[in-house]
Amino acid sequence: MVTIFLQNDNIRVKVPVDTTLRDVALRTGASMEFGCRVGDCTTCVAHVRSGMELLNTKTDKELRALEMLGGDVSQLRLMCQCRVLCEEGEVVISYGLQC
Amino acid sequence: MLGAVTAISESVHFIGAFDPQIRTFDIIMKTANGSSYNSYLVRGSEGVAVMDTVKKEFSGAFFKRLELLCDYDEIKYIVLHHLEPDHSGALIELMARAPQAKLIISGRAVMMLKGLVKTDIPFEVANTGKVISLGDKTIEFLSTPFLHWPDTMSSYLHEEKILFSGDVFGSHYYDERLFDDEVGDFSYAFKYYYDHIMRPFKQYVLQALELYKRFDISLIAPLHGPVLRSEPQFYIDKYAEWSSEEKFRKHQFGKKMLSVFYMSSYDNTQKMAEKIMEGADSVEGIVASMYDLASLEERNMIDLLEESDGIIVGSPTINGDAVKPAWDLLACMAYLESVGKVGASFGSYGWTGEAPEMLHDRMRWLKFRLPVAPLKIKLIPTEAELESCFTFGVEVAEITMGKIVEMEI
Repeated sequence: MVTIFLQNDNIRVKVPVDTTLRDVALRTGASMEFGCRVGDCTTCVAHVRSGMELLNTKTDKELRALEMLGGDVSQLRLMCQCRVLCEEGEVVISYGLQC
Repeated sequence: MLGAVTAISESVHFIGAFDPQIRTFDIIMKTANGSSYNSYLVRGSEGVAVMDTVKKEFSGAFFKRLELLCDYDEIKYIVLHHLEPDHSGALIELMARAPQAKLIISGRAVMMLKGLVKTDIPFEVANTGKVISLGDKTIEFLSTPFLHWPDTMSSYLHEEKILFSGDVFGSHYYDERLFDDEVGDFSYAFKYYYDHIMRPFKQYVLQALELYKRFDISLIAPLHGPVLRSEPQFYIDKYAEWSSEEKFRKHQFGKKMLSVFYMSSYDNTQKMAEKIMEGADSVEGIVASMYDLASLEERNMIDLLEESDGIIVGSPTINGDAVKPAWDLLACMAYLESVGKVGASFGSYGWTGEAPEMLHDRMRWLKFRLPVAPLKIKLIPTEAELESCFTFGVEVAEITMGKIVEMEI
């Protein structure tokens, strides 16, 4: 199981491989905001503080959407596009104004 | 009035439209004397920028004013600070008349643009720091999202120190004298607009004000209502004050406020509320209070909700539903920021007992943090059940104070 720490909400949740972060938000009641849910609008942008390597890699589509936000997007992800890839480790995420 | 195009400054003119007949705006706001859809034209030595358009029905006035000031082939840029239809209604027609113009929108507006125009049109994305030039005039963009849509941005005309603020600093107030020092008393409309449009995004308002501090602002050109030229800092200070005020003075001493709202038919939900409050109040740092929704007016609901760090709502189940005052309470969140608030729900029931889950579900959509499952008790709570209410209050209060929630899915 991978541990996901949702910083804004002080929630630490253990999830199995292949879990989507959208599902994590839904099932934990975390306060992430979602818009289009298909990787276009960037409403669900989050800062991955650590554990980026435990998540699926960014697709070209996600990268294009993130680049429209400007600045350094290397640690940013769209939560609607993220999935846990590994069996163990910890991912720390912040979002909204703390992104 | 169309013969007179009002100059905002040496190179900026008002080309928006007035709507004295509108009485309800965006469903949620009333206006006693109408409003305006502000749009501006900036002229530089190497072309023209059109800053926003108007609601579609008012396109005629917009194009007439624009045509008094420039030819369509002079338009180099069309800037949309915010894509809501009251500001983008004339966009497609304007782009047809000025096909050489570059459309500038924020990154978050891209998907909305596609939904709005239903076709692919070329655009450029502006983030904070992007600059466009009209020769002797320079416009710099600022990303000011969520004020009041995710796409909102602002811009600043350097040479004339004008802030194009989007909906920020707007008012639904109709007065063709236009300038804040010439129109009637619009202070109530300015505050009312803030309360309904900006108050749910206070943290984003403060973030935008930080960006505005970089600039020396001599005039604010918002998208609705009077143009603010007499003392722009006065209006900026008002937004800062309203966005940072805390009515609950104990916040200043590190305390957190937890409110238990309830309604009760036969005192059972009330007994639960009392025990939940007792549990919550036993947690160090929490000041818990309880309120009977039967006697709470809406304006007081809004203030209490805004100041509360934790909100617990209790309702009996009547005809398979929570009671109306509980729904009315949560409807007040439309005016407020819910991000970060902890929520929970409870209730006594006789037959089916859906109310706590329904309230929990509603709070989830309102983006409350909901780490504790709803608590429901059949009819009269026993001593043991009241003890579970106490524990429920403790748990919600501890999480409100920052305790980490451990879960597994």
